[in-house]
Amino acid sequence: MLKNYLKIAWKVLLRRKFFTFISLFGISFTLMVLLVATALFDHAFGPQMPEREIDKLLFVNRIVEQGEEGHNSTGPPSYYFLNRYVKSLKTPEKVSINSVFVQVNSYVNNRKLALDLKFTDKEFWEVLDFNFLEGKPFGKQEVANADKVAVINENSRKQYFGTGEAIGKYIVVDQVKYRVIGVVEDVPVLRIHSYADVWVPITLRSQDFKNTDLKGSYLATIKAKQSSDIPKIKDEYAQMMRKVEIRNPKEVKKIFSFPDSILESFVRSFLGSGNENHVGLFYGILAGIMFLFMLLPTTNLVNLNVSRIMERSSEIGVRKAFGATSKTIIGQFIIENLFLTLLGGILGLVLSAFILNMINNSGIIVYADLGLNLRVFGWGLLICLIFGIISGVFPAYKMSRLQAVEALKGGSK
Amino acid sequence: MIRHLFKLIWNRKRSNFLLMSEIFFCFLVLFAVLSLAFFNIRNYSKPIGFEHENVWLLSLRPNTDSTAQNVVIQEQLLRRVRAFPEVEKASFSGTNTPFSFNSSNTQLSTEKVKNVYANIYEVQDDFSAVMKLKMQQGRWFGNQDNGSANPPIVINNKLKQQLFGEEEAVGKEISLDDTTRYKVVGVVQYFRAGSEYEADEPSYFSRIDLQKNHDRRYGSLLLRVKPGTGVAFEEKMVKELSGIAKDWTIEATTLEKMRNNKAKFTLVPIVALGLICAFLILNVALGLFGVLWYNINRRTSEIGLRRALGAPSGQIYRQFIGEVGVLTTFGLLLGVLFAIQFPLLQVFQVESEVYFLALGCAVLLIYLVTTLCALYPSRQAARIQPAVALHEE
Repeated sequence: MLKNYLKIAWKVLLRRKFFTFISLFGISFTLMVLLVATALFDHAFGPQMPEREIDKLLFVNRIVEQGEEGHNSTGPPSYYFLNRYVKSLKTPEKVSINSVFVQVNSYVNNRKLALDLKFTDKEFWEVLDFNFLEGKPFGKQEVANADKVAVINENSRKQYFGTGEAIGKYIVVDQVKYRVIGVVEDVPVLRIHSYADVWVPITLRSQDFKNTDLKGSYLATIKAKQSSDIPKIKDEYAQMMRKVEIRNPKEVKKIFSFPDSILESFVRSFLGSGNENHVGLFYGILAGIMFLFMLLPTTNLVNLNVSRIMERSSEIGVRKAFGATSKTIIGQFIIENLFLTLLGGILGLVLSAFILNMINNSGIIVYADLGLNLRVFGWGLLICLIFGIISGVFPAYKMSRLQAVEALKGGSK
Repeated sequence: MIRHLFKLIWNRKRSNFLLMSEIFFCFLVLFAVLSLAFFNIRNYSKPIGFEHENVWLLSLRPNTDSTAQNVVIQEQLLRRVRAFPEVEKASFSGTNTPFSFNSSNTQLSTEKVKNVYANIYEVQDDFSAVMKLKMQQGRWFGNQDNGSANPPIVINNKLKQQLFGEEEAVGKEISLDDTTRYKVVGVVQYFRAGSEYEADEPSYFSRIDLQKNHDRRYGSLLLRVKPGTGVAFEEKMVKELSGIAKDWTIEATTLEKMRNNKAKFTLVPIVALGLICAFLILNVALGLFGVLWYNINRRTSEIGLRRALGAPSGQIYRQFIGEVGVLTTFGLLLGVLFAIQFPLLQVFQVESEVYFLALGCAVLLIYLVTTLCALYPSRQAARIQPAVALHEE
């Protein structure tokens, strides 16, 4: 049966090439735009090197100090807060404390390199999953001694040393000389919790450790033993927050801080005041935008399909005369439409691979590595199906309502 | 003729409904994108009010908390920077330097006008020379203001308009809060520091006096260098300054680079939106073309009859173009009804002109696209021979 439907669909496509072209053009471009958007979303919030085990990771990147009359002061937490309170949590497997990256200058052969520098502890390398091209991360010993050693990314190696090995060579960043002990693959800039060009031991900034303010310039990355521990960690974190000592109770009445997944932390700073979780709302907004964007191509496709019903009226008439129910006919046309959208989807996939490649090469997003992976492909397939069903239901319904007699006669009003 | 066309469309309103809604959505998309584009083009065409070539920005970040020590170092740094022969002028500034992503604003009031939001730029006396500002009225602040009771400020024309209208502003007082009253000493025509694409917002400059507020630290130092000064000097300067300010992070960049970076943030979304919009319109145009073509092919007998009764082919041609025109008008009427709310209700604080311009262009473009789509199918219809058409039936 299915095979027959597909055969008919194929023949119909070949019959009016111009219409087929219009339909496929619309479908493939719409899906291309949606696929590129999905790839961007996945790039920002999905599992990516080095945050691969995303379902086990939580990030602490802000603390809110609430004073009277709702006066809020928000910023990254301090080393003191993270070290004293977050690090002492029992449920997580490991907690890493690292600094917010800062842009610093480095000069090579009369050329300036603007590099992003991040101070990290040894857990940083255990919690996250970097791809090392050569060398290794710094360990307990180097951090304890505050050794001037650095892990650099591939791009900095190329800019600084050209081709060839970098291990054991020296790099001067922000007027400080570091020995390179490892080179990793470039981390995309959208991964703000892990991204940097140069990573050095956190103990080089030990003057910050004494400061007992709650706000500072540090982040924590928490790794759970297994993904089911995430709610437990959040509970423990909330309990811990109640015990945090506020040293200036006159100005600060309440403090808030949450361990978040990447998406949660983005949504928190993007929507609302930041103390509530709005992930559901965020998905709602995304779905709304997607729906609005698909509205026009869908109406277009519905329009085309509806106009073309008459072409098929005698076929429907014959089928109805031989006892096919409306349901069967709706089913057939939806399958046909799905076939068409999937065909358009494949074209769209090819087009989006092309566009993503263009974005990667253009340098609009630093170290972007946008690609079509299985996840994006899966999303694309889902979008195709939704698109196909939405644009197919109405024409199919209209077709199924044709009366056999009228249809055989050659159409109705 | 027109009434006849309306009747024809009305009789087939159900099958035309989809076409109309398509034109309606298409118009809304076009209106939104054109509004955005015109808004930015309009801003871009205004002067920004300063010259950014050969201006560098030094960001100075101490890594310790000791204010007293840091302020001493800050003054040493300024003296050293001014001593370089390559540097013409230098001025400290708040973090909201031109083309930065930072902003800082506050509310100002006069006796007549209350609580006007304005951008505040904290700068030193040399800022005017660094950025080559042009005064419209009055003067820039300087040493003669050292003893004045009210802190001197220079405002931009937009703020002057909002606070004083057409009246003279120089010499007047503006209150920031209960204790601080500014005295206006000058007016500049434009100062749009955000980016070339940003709207002209009310802004003012307040004076940094290092002698007076000696416990404040400023993170940004703007300097105008001699033309042709390159990265070699930058390296030398940063190295020397790092010698004075040990443990400080010192970062240099040019305003030109910052301008390009900032422009990217405006242009990339507009270009992306423009491309998506162009694709949507092309998509709709192709669809419309297909549907019209198909519908007209189905109406051969009607056309044949009209031709047989003596209608010249030109009239048939005009009829079909006219029908599409009427269809478009229906869709657009609905769309314009929606779109006109934006200037009427003053959504988004954009000048009404931008909306009206976008509205007009969108209407024209939609008419153009639909007419183009109708041309070929209508010609096909006009070519139908009555004998052939009637014979078919």
